[in-house]
Amino acid sequence: MTRWVRALSARTGGTAETLGGKAAGLVVLHRLGLPVPAGFVVTTEGCRAFRRDGRLPAGLDGELATAVADLERATGRTFGGPRRPLAVSVRSGAAAAMPGMLSTVLNLGLTTGATEGLAAETGDRAFALDARRGFLRGFAAASAAAGAAAGASAGAVAVPEDAGGQLRRAVEAVFSSWDAPRAHTYRELNGIPHDLGTAVIVQRMVFGNRDGDSGSGVAFSRDPGTGEHTPFGEVLFGRQGEEVVSGRATTRPLRELAGRQPRVWAGLLDALHRIEQHHRDACYVEFTFESGELWFLQVRPGRFTGAAAIRVATELADQRLIGRDEALLRISPVHLRQARVPRIAAGEADVLARGTGACPGVATGRIATTADGAVRAARSGPVVLVRPETSPDDLRGLAAATGIVTARGGPASHAAVVARAMGKPAAVGVAGLAVDGAAVTAGGRTLPEGTLVTVDGSSGEVVLGHARTVTGADDEHVRRLLAWADDASGDHSARAGAHRLAAAHAALRDR
Amino acid sequence: MNRSEARAPDAALLVLHALRCAGAVGVARLGAITGLDESAAESELIDLGVDGLVTRLSGAPPVWCLTDAGRAADAERIAGELEAAGARARVAAAYERFMVLNPELLDLCTAWQLRSVDGVTTVNDHGDPAHDSRVLARFADLDGRAAEVGAELSAVLPRFGRYRLRLADALERAAAGESAYLADHTASYHVVWAELHEDLLATLGLARW
Repeated sequence: MTRWVRALSARTGGTAETLGGKAAGLVVLHRLGLPVPAGFVVTTEGCRAFRRDGRLPAGLDGELATAVADLERATGRTFGGPRRPLAVSVRSGAAAAMPGMLSTVLNLGLTTGATEGLAAETGDRAFALDARRGFLRGFAAASAAAGAAAGASAGAVAVPEDAGGQLRRAVEAVFSSWDAPRAHTYRELNGIPHDLGTAVIVQRMVFGNRDGDSGSGVAFSRDPGTGEHTPFGEVLFGRQGEEVVSGRATTRPLRELAGRQPRVWAGLLDALHRIEQHHRDACYVEFTFESGELWFLQVRPGRFTGAAAIRVATELADQRLIGRDEALLRISPVHLRQARVPRIAAGEADVLARGTGACPGVATGRIATTADGAVRAARSGPVVLVRPETSPDDLRGLAAATGIVTARGGPASHAAVVARAMGKPAAVGVAGLAVDGAAVTAGGRTLPEGTLVTVDGSSGEVVLGHARTVTGADDEHVRRLLAWADDASGDHSARAGAHRLAAAHAALRDR
Repeated sequence: MNRSEARAPDAALLVLHALRCAGAVGVARLGAITGLDESAAESELIDLGVDGLVTRLSGAPPVWCLTDAGRAADAERIAGELEAAGARARVAAAYERFMVLNPELLDLCTAWQLRSVDGVTTVNDHGDPAHDSRVLARFADLDGRAAEVGAELSAVLPRFGRYRLRLADALERAAAGESAYLADHTASYHVVWAELHEDLLATLGLARW
């Protein structure tokens, strides 16, 4: 067995500690017989050696060359070669999840010669050049981040013209990104040891931007807003996944796959089912489809909150995937507290669009698209401020509004931080929503300023008109779970939900 | 004209530009942003109002904001200031460094507002001193790196020096127990940081998106 590099297959040995969580997940996908692009992993031990010695460990070069040669054989392609070129993705993957913190380089191996080869092979020069640009952008960003982590000043990045040199530099860049200040802060805040290090996953590229039957997406096996047993996520047709994160492209609701790519959709549903059976929990996957063929790039547990977590636990018990005791132990008093926050009643509302919940609670008001408009309209009734994203100029409008919606940004965006500071329900990063002058377009509909909408800051939903709200006390799943809690503790007296759950936890742990 | 007069900051531009970067604000906040005393700030506002560059919105307290003409005038004067100082390349370099720090600052604000209990993310009730002190320590570390960027900026355009004072003040108050001064107050670190972000975009004439 080699020291630093392991091929990814159903037989790959090693724990998440050595392989990293992402590679360990890929091994599980292999074992479930699901399609995963061929590849290998440089273990976290390589990263620890790199951080200790300040250079890649001796012997890694040779192991990389062997692993690449195996990959060439498995794919029938040539790394950096002009004929049937092999391009690879180079991704991080630590034992603990650190989403978005570490570097990634896609389309690596696309030297100028290989780019010409890809153009000739596909007959699509625009695609090949687009892929090459994506590589250069990612390589430059990763190199700059590595330089900054090492304390070097920014400068022009030379891109090696040999694919092996590119790979070596990208592995170094991913290892170095472990020590970027933002990553260091993230570990401090989340209690992740600084000496774990990250693995590097190298896989044959599958191109979401290959043709009209290609794309990329993310999917939850159940709805993270409600816990309902129906797949939920986003898909980007004709693009690579990284463009979602950068905000350069707008995603579509996952269910559009069913109509446009029925085979991909069927494969995805089957995979989500198999992964759930294996993990006995809701799950999240990242996928790409290339010329109609589906590939999985990542899997992890769903990690739902509040009422959604409670619904998933009770329904998994109903399906007999877990026992009632296990369902109880998966729910914390924090989930119960979150479930008490009002949310929009599922299934009744006319949902316009959906983003990420940034501050829980429900607000109904008339749309305003500017801070001034929000201040004016707030004199005659509640307002929901809808903006592309927010800046200090919007503070007055944010203060005047009862609810906040932004088209862009995530749970740590300016709008999200301000919404929480002001305690106002907010949905951010609402895909498919656009502010166009004094009107908002969402889900193919145009809503002028003054239209009544309701925003749910837990699920991230924006719905038309006034929506009925519910809380955990009305929730069938909460009631059932707490009834199981009383069965477990043997105490059926009337008490607060948190006490009933705590008594059940105590009884179950004593067994 | 003596030397000190020649180098005195242009108070009208300071006030104009404060409204550009902070949005609509009252006289008290304008004083805090510009470092002018309130009566001086108010007198500049009145002059700018006469020129049609700012307008007063009634309310309690009343606030001032730019007119369209004021926004255009600010863009022109700020661009002129940048060119006159020959500072574009250095401000652009500082902006790049700022943008590396920006996501980390937003992570920290989020960690101050939300924390993980039993593996579930929930509102930070500031009931876990260990969590809060970890966040504060990383805030202080980031602030040290932000100060280097701030020093580069104020070396070429002295008006950027106000941000350093205001950021340091917010952090000091938060460390002394006024927890709202990191992310939940109109003079919070997050608010001042967002104004600095807007100022860099405005100074370089860049669009946010």
